[in-house]
Amino acid sequence: MTSQKTRLLALFTLYVTLSSPAHAYLDPATGSIMVQAIIGAAGTGLIYYRMGKAKVLGVLQRIFIRSRNRPQD
Amino acid sequence: MTSPAIINRGSFRDPGSQVYEQGDRILRWVGRYAAGSYEQVRDTGTLDRLIKKGFLVSAHECTEALLPQNADTAYVLEHKRIPFISYPYEWCFSLLKRAALFHLDLHLQAMEEGFTLSDATAYNVQFKGTQAIGIDHLSLKPYEDGEIWAGHRQFCMQFLNPLVLWSRKGIAPNSWFRGSLEGIAPEELAPLLSFKDKLNFVILSHIVAQSRLQQRSIANHLHVEPGKRPKLSRTGMIGMLEGLRSFIENCQPPKKATVWGEYAQNTSYESEERSAKGRTIAAMTSAIRPKMFFDLGCNSGEYSEIALTNGAQRAVGFDFDFSALEAAVDRADDRNLDFLPLWLDAANPSPSQGWAQAERAGLNERSNADALIALAFIHHIAIGKNVPMDMAVDWIISLAPCGIIEFPPKSDPMVQRLLGNRDDIFPNYTEDNFIAAVAKRAKILDRNTISKSGRFLVTYDRSAP
Repeated sequence: MTSQKTRLLALFTLYVTLSSPAHAYLDPATGSIMVQAIIGAAGTGLIYYRMGKAKVLGVLQRIFIRSRNRPQD
Repeated sequence: MTSPAIINRGSFRDPGSQVYEQGDRILRWVGRYAAGSYEQVRDTGTLDRLIKKGFLVSAHECTEALLPQNADTAYVLEHKRIPFISYPYEWCFSLLKRAALFHLDLHLQAMEEGFTLSDATAYNVQFKGTQAIGIDHLSLKPYEDGEIWAGHRQFCMQFLNPLVLWSRKGIAPNSWFRGSLEGIAPEELAPLLSFKDKLNFVILSHIVAQSRLQQRSIANHLHVEPGKRPKLSRTGMIGMLEGLRSFIENCQPPKKATVWGEYAQNTSYESEERSAKGRTIAAMTSAIRPKMFFDLGCNSGEYSEIALTNGAQRAVGFDFDFSALEAAVDRADDRNLDFLPLWLDAANPSPSQGWAQAERAGLNERSNADALIALAFIHHIAIGKNVPMDMAVDWIISLAPCGIIEFPPKSDPMVQRLLGNRDDIFPNYTEDNFIAAVAKRAKILDRNTISKSGRFLVTYDRSAP
């Protein structure tokens, strides 16, 4: 078995799950299915990155605003 | 007597839902196969919300037996008719981009409500004016945790790849798309992309990686059984849709100045001549009040705007030049006009094609104009494309029962420009032949000379005695 095939099989084993296609008449095509598994993981990363960024910015903003609003001694 | 319901020839792929036309009515048959999905979308209120937000055309269930009943019928819906059906290969860059963003927004909105889209066909996006709207209510189905996006490849082929070809390579995809109704496959586009193009994550993953994986899956006979599909988390799906959205939002059309894009601002068109044209159009449209108005060679839509502000209900413009179409889309947006500018090569208009040569209707088949204008247009087909005068006039008049056609004589600078690089092999391109060709098919109501070079307008009416 080539290393390519091994990698593809590893990818399938990683993401295999059961799902039932309800009212699905379109052939999604193998290339698209495989690439979605990869992009989906990256997309999840992107969402968490954005959420994390928003949280960090929120914290910094609160600190910054609090320090600006603090009455001067 | 009720007209018979005739199935729309483009509606056959989804066994759960098919569209019929009955006279002016648009009806959707919903079979038992798709009834469960439809009921969930309806009963959760999602369908009504999407209609209210302008994502979908209106729909209501019909109790009358409008369609031939069979044991498989679950529901019959009635939709509001879209004034003019257009196809993605007739859209300019802005409209294709708008349709792509619309599709992603609809999908994201559906995901928020617990639903997903079963496909991603660009033919399910239509335009009312320049506003995109969805026409397939049965594309919505309940989202199941972990499911992949079945329409991903279709989205890439019909939206992403044509936009990448256009924005990165400066090549309009329309002719390719028209020849390949399913769109442009990643395997076809990937070899055309440069190393620099591939440095972008969306291009690298959705186009290059998909192309490689698809080719390898075919070469190695790999396939993924429905029950063993990789899992795509909800967050992953939303991230993917948002990533595509952000990429497409930043796609820009190539900046190519063209002769016709600058046409409206060109001083070779004198303002008095333009006013004369405007007055003639306003007189016709205020008298006829056309429900649908065609503007052949619409350029930036200046005359469509005059028609729309003088009695025409809605207009569809056609032009060969993409820069002119972009200007026309801007005009429609800025002034809130019910005006849809579309790409057209008049010498080779969109044909009836697809399955059984009827899936996508040709321009003549879709033509529903009550009136038209063809200004500064006929010389482009009669001289630019060697179409004999009689045939050129015949085609124009076949599109609407009445209208205004401009005739620029051979001495006109614009005609001279067309003749600049070639022999004059057009002895039949004369004023008399033009008038005779119009008079053979319709009554000439008015003839109005509008320029010193001898350009004149003819107002015709096919139905006049």
